[in-house]
Amino acid sequence: MSVLEAVRRANQPGVPENSIRLRLACLGAVLVAIAACASLQEIAWTTAAVATVLVAAGTVFSHATRARPPGWVKVLVAVGALAACVWFFHEVSSPTAGITSVVNPLTVLLVAVLVVHSFHVPSRRDLLFTLGASAGLMAVGAALAIDLRFGLYVVAWACCSLWALTEMWTSASGGGRVSTTGLVLALGATTAAAAAVFLVLPAPVVSSRVSFIDRAGAGGSVGVPGGLAGDSGVAAQLSHAGSPASRIRVGGYLGFAASLNTALRGNLGNTLVMQVRAQRPSYWVGETFDTWQGQSWTASQPVPRRPLRESSPFILPIPLGDVPFGQSDLQTFYISSATANLVFHAESANEVWFPSGKLYVAGDGTIVSPLGLGTGSVYTVDSQVSTATAAQLRADDVPFALSPATLLQEEQLPHPYPRVQALAESITAHDANTYDKVQSLIHWIGAHTHYSENIPPLPPGADTVDEFLFGNRVGFCEQISTSLAVMLRSLDIPAREAVGYVPGGFNPITDLYQVHANDAHAWVQVWFPGYGWQDFDPTAVVPLAPPSPGATALRDVGSALSRIPPVPVAAVVVAAGLVIVLVRWRRARPQTWAERVARSAERAGRRAGRPRRPSETFAEYARRLDELGAGDGTWSRLASSVEASAYGGLDPPLHAQRALVLEAKRARVLRRAAGGPAAAPERPLERV
Amino acid sequence: MVAGAAIIGLWWLVAHNAGSGWVQVLGDLVFGALLIGIVGPFVVATRARITVRSAPGDGGAGFPVEVHVESRNRVRARPVDPPGPEAFVGPAGRRGAVDSVITLVPVRRGVHDAVTLDIASAAPFGLQWWTKRVQLPLPAALHVSPRCGRAQPVLRHPDEGTGDLLDRPRSDVGLPRGARPYVPGDARRLVHWRSTAHAGHLMVRELEQPAAEPVTITVELPEDPEAAERVAEGALGSVVDLLDGGAPVLLGTTEPSGPVLGAVADRRSAGRRLARAVNGSDGAAAAERAGAGR
Repeated sequence: MSVLEAVRRANQPGVPENSIRLRLACLGAVLVAIAACASLQEIAWTTAAVATVLVAAGTVFSHATRARPPGWVKVLVAVGALAACVWFFHEVSSPTAGITSVVNPLTVLLVAVLVVHSFHVPSRRDLLFTLGASAGLMAVGAALAIDLRFGLYVVAWACCSLWALTEMWTSASGGGRVSTTGLVLALGATTAAAAAVFLVLPAPVVSSRVSFIDRAGAGGSVGVPGGLAGDSGVAAQLSHAGSPASRIRVGGYLGFAASLNTALRGNLGNTLVMQVRAQRPSYWVGETFDTWQGQSWTASQPVPRRPLRESSPFILPIPLGDVPFGQSDLQTFYISSATANLVFHAESANEVWFPSGKLYVAGDGTIVSPLGLGTGSVYTVDSQVSTATAAQLRADDVPFALSPATLLQEEQLPHPYPRVQALAESITAHDANTYDKVQSLIHWIGAHTHYSENIPPLPPGADTVDEFLFGNRVGFCEQISTSLAVMLRSLDIPAREAVGYVPGGFNPITDLYQVHANDAHAWVQVWFPGYGWQDFDPTAVVPLAPPSPGATALRDVGSALSRIPPVPVAAVVVAAGLVIVLVRWRRARPQTWAERVARSAERAGRRAGRPRRPSETFAEYARRLDELGAGDGTWSRLASSVEASAYGGLDPPLHAQRALVLEAKRARVLRRAAGGPAAAPERPLERV
Repeated sequence: MVAGAAIIGLWWLVAHNAGSGWVQVLGDLVFGALLIGIVGPFVVATRARITVRSAPGDGGAGFPVEVHVESRNRVRARPVDPPGPEAFVGPAGRRGAVDSVITLVPVRRGVHDAVTLDIASAAPFGLQWWTKRVQLPLPAALHVSPRCGRAQPVLRHPDEGTGDLLDRPRSDVGLPRGARPYVPGDARRLVHWRSTAHAGHLMVRELEQPAAEPVTITVELPEDPEAAERVAEGALGSVVDLLDGGAPVLLGTTEPSGPVLGAVADRRSAGRRLARAVNGSDGAAAAERAGAGR
């Protein structure tokens, strides 16, 4: 078949589709997709409402004109689709809009196509196109979905689509309905296939070319330019490090401030602070501290920091001592709860897409927003992430060096630490390079200290590092990382304290790292001449691995199963078993009076050791029972009534039926009693 | 299937660039539905069982023959041999009856011990049709008679057509002996209208025993199926014409078991004989051996 012939055949009008249910199911799928996009603010709710009305009207019109669609409708559909495409390409190619703003025009384009197409859907094939287009619209909506609420729309759309597909079979087969069992099997198989593909396919990663999202959320401007706002999102509220009054707050980490007091720890809680879409997991660094004062860290560079005045995206200068080495890594941060106005990022940020006209940046790479980062804020950072291997860091002999002033700052100690220096030298006595020294110190800390968030308060004037290394050796990330930094500085190795968040749990559905307040963390950055500042986390010796969606999902499922309480589950199982038994008993129960009489006869015979033979008619059996019993002919009489009902349709009146059933039950009792010697009939007590 | 793979590929590309797991979830759902939509019909078509409940023993070429079948699954059945229009068999609705009817429209005469069907299913989603060819044995052989062609002129007596027979009674009816009341089964042509009018109820002629000599028609089918079909059609037309005229007919054919010569009493038996007839010239020899007249 030639291409021309194939095209001609494909464009031949199909058989008019008469199924209203199929049209309703497709309409439902389209409306759910439009609502999903509206809920994600990809289209306005008014646009969604208008589209809903038009699609519904178009569906009615299509059904009414399915046999002979008017010719002008085809022209209308073609012109409408063409106009929508022209508008779309104009939108995405206009100078004011970058490729980042493709999603919303694409949503409008798909909605417009669905609206105009709904007026010309005469055949089943056209309805299938409608279903496919609704799937495309859902996908466009899903591209911006960042939480599990979108799952409600997915479930609703899947239900409508499944209904439409089964109706498609019903229509195609001239009325064939998928049985309930078949429907359950198909649904289960579809879900299993989808789950298998989901587990097998590697996780999608955000592209470094198309997704540069930024959006302003709640939160006002910060009163002090370049200053750090409080976590409450209220403007002009500077945070104060170590203030007991601010220990309970969203994100409650006390380190996101001008100083980090290692003697205090805020109540972090489990609030979701932000979600991060990134190509790989990283420590989301907020700021670094280079001046150690015995109990707290401070930054040597004073506030305000240097403002970047160009518009988004902001090109950031290379931080002091950093070396542009590694690979690009794109992260999009979705702020869920008001937090500090630090612009978190992975390692060394190169470029920031941020919803403001100004950003402040310090020499160490710390980025501060002029806006309070409230709920709904979104920004994207392109970072340079180190790819240096252990071997490269060991062999680092590049003759670069920090400037003397910077070197002095990064090796600064408030006072001599002779014990710390001796300990560090003894641990690293056999190490020839910086990397091995760092590793030896980390291993020593891991082997000789314990992690706990409940530590006794630091005595006034005591040094955190001395207390941790030579005291109780119990602490959390700040004590551990500070000890490593001080030991490194005592060995004349430049090191500094970094604070931020660990990557957080990976959600395989949304492909987002979910960062909670208790993911706040402190770690150490060590300077290598050829590779710049490298992260080392002595608190977590085990390095982080990239997430596997399949493994994560399986682990989550296993965890969820393990959390299922046994008693309610057992109760549900028992209840279900009772229901099944009850239903089976009700089904097995005799339905008519004749069946009850027959059941009674068979039961009586069984108990008397005379079960009914398969070849025996009921009348024959009754005669045999009579011969076995007193010979009064009760069973034969009952059998004749039963057979008259079963074969002749001669049912006695209701009261007679009840009497016959009762008589059969009594007769059964008499037969049982007649098994032994003749029992005297019971007589009612008489008043004498 | 190729289109499905292309869709999944494109979808994966979108998911990759968007970075959202929901896109992948949706794509996986679409993939799952496509997979079940493709594999499901294969399973249904493979597991479909159709049995013939009843079928007529006789049929005619070009005339529909209804065959009652039973199927647990709703499938599309297209008769291949004998051919016929496609129909859906199996339960319509969740509690529908499993009995259905398929119509065969045989093109040629012949004897069918079985019917060949192409059964197809697109359950449960109606996306892809899978077809399986099955052969269903019939409860009894279906004899498909040829079409009734134009009757050949057959001379029933050597001097027929010369005018000498005009004063004779027709050889197929014998000599009338009297009239008697009509009984069911009497031929219409024997109704004696004058006696009927006189008696007030239907009267028929009562004849002396028939004096007609049977007409023997020998059918020699050529090898070419189309030509053989035409010959059989003509033969049936002639036989029917003779039978309608009241003449006894002996039909000589060649059947797979050998030549057969026998009387045919009606169109049905003639059709059956011609349905069984095969190519060969032994039919004439059989007629000679039987010593029958022309």
